Amino acid sequence: MSGTKILTCANLSIGYRSQKEVIKEVSKGLDLSLLRGELVCLIGPNGSGKSTLIRTLTGIQPALCGEVRLLDRKIGEFTPEEKAKTLSVVLTSQVQAGFLTAFDIVALGRFPYTNWAGRLTGPDREIVYSALASVGAKDLAGRFIHEMSDGERQKVMIARALAQEPELMVLDEPTAYLDLPHKIETMRILRQVAQKTKKSILLSTHDLNLAIRCADQLWIIDRRGTMISGTPEDLVLSGIFGSAFEIEGVHFDPVRGEFSIPVEKRGTFALSAPGSVERVWTLYALERIGFLPSAGEEADIHIAIRMEHDSVRWHYDHPEGEIECRSIRELIDCIARHHTGGDAH
Amino acid sequence: MKLEGSETGDSMKKFVLALPFIAGALVLFFILDLMLGSVNIPPDAILSILTGGEIKETWMHIFWDWRVPKAVTAVFAGAALALSGLLMQTFFRNPLADPYILGISSGASLGVAIVMMSAGICGAGAVFASVGLMGDMSISVAAILGAFAVLLLILLISSKIQSNITILILGIMVSYISGALVTVLLQFTDETSMHTYSLWTFGSFTGVTWSQLPIMVFLLALGFILSFCLIKPLNALLLGEQYAESMGMNYRRIRIVIITTTALMAGVVTAFCGPIGFLGIAIPHFCRSFFVTADHRVLVPGCILAGGIIALITDIISHVPGTDIVLPLNAITALFGAPVVIWVIVRGTKFGRGVTT
Repeated sequence: MSGTKILTCANLSIGYRSQKEVIKEVSKGLDLSLLRGELVCLIGPNGSGKSTLIRTLTGIQPALCGEVRLLDRKIGEFTPEEKAKTLSVVLTSQVQAGFLTAFDIVALGRFPYTNWAGRLTGPDREIVYSALASVGAKDLAGRFIHEMSDGERQKVMIARALAQEPELMVLDEPTAYLDLPHKIETMRILRQVAQKTKKSILLSTHDLNLAIRCADQLWIIDRRGTMISGTPEDLVLSGIFGSAFEIEGVHFDPVRGEFSIPVEKRGTFALSAPGSVERVWTLYALERIGFLPSAGEEADIHIAIRMEHDSVRWHYDHPEGEIECRSIRELIDCIARHHTGGDAH
Repeated sequence: MKLEGSETGDSMKKFVLALPFIAGALVLFFILDLMLGSVNIPPDAILSILTGGEIKETWMHIFWDWRVPKAVTAVFAGAALALSGLLMQTFFRNPLADPYILGISSGASLGVAIVMMSAGICGAGAVFASVGLMGDMSISVAAILGAFAVLLLILLISSKIQSNITILILGIMVSYISGALVTVLLQFTDETSMHTYSLWTFGSFTGVTWSQLPIMVFLLALGFILSFCLIKPLNALLLGEQYAESMGMNYRRIRIVIITTTALMAGVVTAFCGPIGFLGIAIPHFCRSFFVTADHRVLVPGCILAGGIIALITDIISHVPGTDIVLPLNAITALFGAPVVIWVIVRGTKFGRGVTT
């Protein structure tokens, strides 16, 4: 069934209107499609219309023109219950519910399937447990949501969306509030869910580095509301990705796949070292303090890394003699002392 | 009690296990409420009343015309206040919400004030000061009319408004307006009417007659049934209205049902017992802490039972057994109830966690 279009829209305009008058058109002419089992990251600067697009695609807000089709049916034609069985959401706002266990929360995902009193049947229970297991939160089942960390809570909310057994899950900034390892963990869980359960996932995020590495497809909205979609690697290679986000002084490094922090250039260096982790991090350190690799010409400073037995030594070549450093910290101090021509004294 | 979540989400099972004890407590306090008062009727006398035996004429009168209606009223009013408090706390996701937050009791108070004052001005104040049927009925009708006027206003406004926080603020504004109008009315009345009115604001489970009792019980039971029907959407609303809607709940319709159910119960209780405070805000918190869950499948029946029990206890205390003293019910509910609730909420839990909704 892979390759089936779950969500499509053609010539869609999004924005706000009051009565009949269009107040603000955020973006127009959107042609998008989302396939089964695909993970799509929606990225764009603040105020570019990510939320508006998500609200329009999930049918919360009407489109200005064009239409959104879910499983090849207009989204407006779905009854609330049918829509709940096809599309589930994870919102940015944190859930403030006391005295509810993770199990209770995930069980609420069965809402469209249970009877008037919300009674869980045996199969419902199994679905709840397997949803918790898919996000690696099985041991959280009996814990209260208000006692969980942000990362754990996010897992539970994703499990709840899963328990709703939708075709498409839409997550609004699921990695906000999380620290880096938990951001990565959340993305890994979503990747796994998309691959294993063949559910489609659309998420908005500000974590561009993660988006490039995780998404099957990127939807980029730039400041002018122009939408570009494509495979992340293609968008990086064509330079579209960089130009959509670069601002004064901040540039995208297509080789490393991240935004570089600009520093004032203080000189050039020549580094002789074996290809090792130490080499990479020494390069980062030199770059951070303002030294760039010399391109052919005589370098201002010369550094060599030598691996002896278990220890690593940095050798800083200095007119007065070679200095051996035991750590990058020492190396940086040496360069500061000697290179600036005595400024550091 | 150690605070722990239920692994399977079945706080329901625990509740069912505890049910016989809670129901037993309700029966026990019901009987105690029948026995205790200014005249204490011993248990064997109660038994002989029920089995048709011979007892003193005055006891017979006190028992049937006074104690039984009072105890039944206490059970139903306590349960209704607890339930409507629960509905409002979940609906507004605010631990400080109570049955009167929509301005329902203020509307009722205004209705009552208008009737009492106008009667006072016409020189018929004595009718209301007595406990005659006419007086009581007109007070109840005035209160119900006032409560439903506010309900209609809130529903009308809420059909045009998305945010339920706005409704909350509107309810509070309506309360202030009605309160202000009552104060203005009080300026133009005689002492008797003013005294009658202030007695009414103290709240009381007494004075509901046998002819009024079926009406009250029927209307409140209707509120209980509606609350049971709301269990599932109330649970969904714990995650907030956006999540609830994304799960297929019709928010606008449910909102009308919740507001109407609350107004029905709070309005009827206010009409027959006066504006009884505290129970409505405290019992839902008590139940959440006691049953350690926010699941409405437990909380709805739990609030009915706990509301009934606590209302009976406060009623027993307010009629200081063995004396002729009758303390204002509203003073008793807060004075004796608040420390108990504070103890339950704080005990064994991290401070403050108990009031999360």
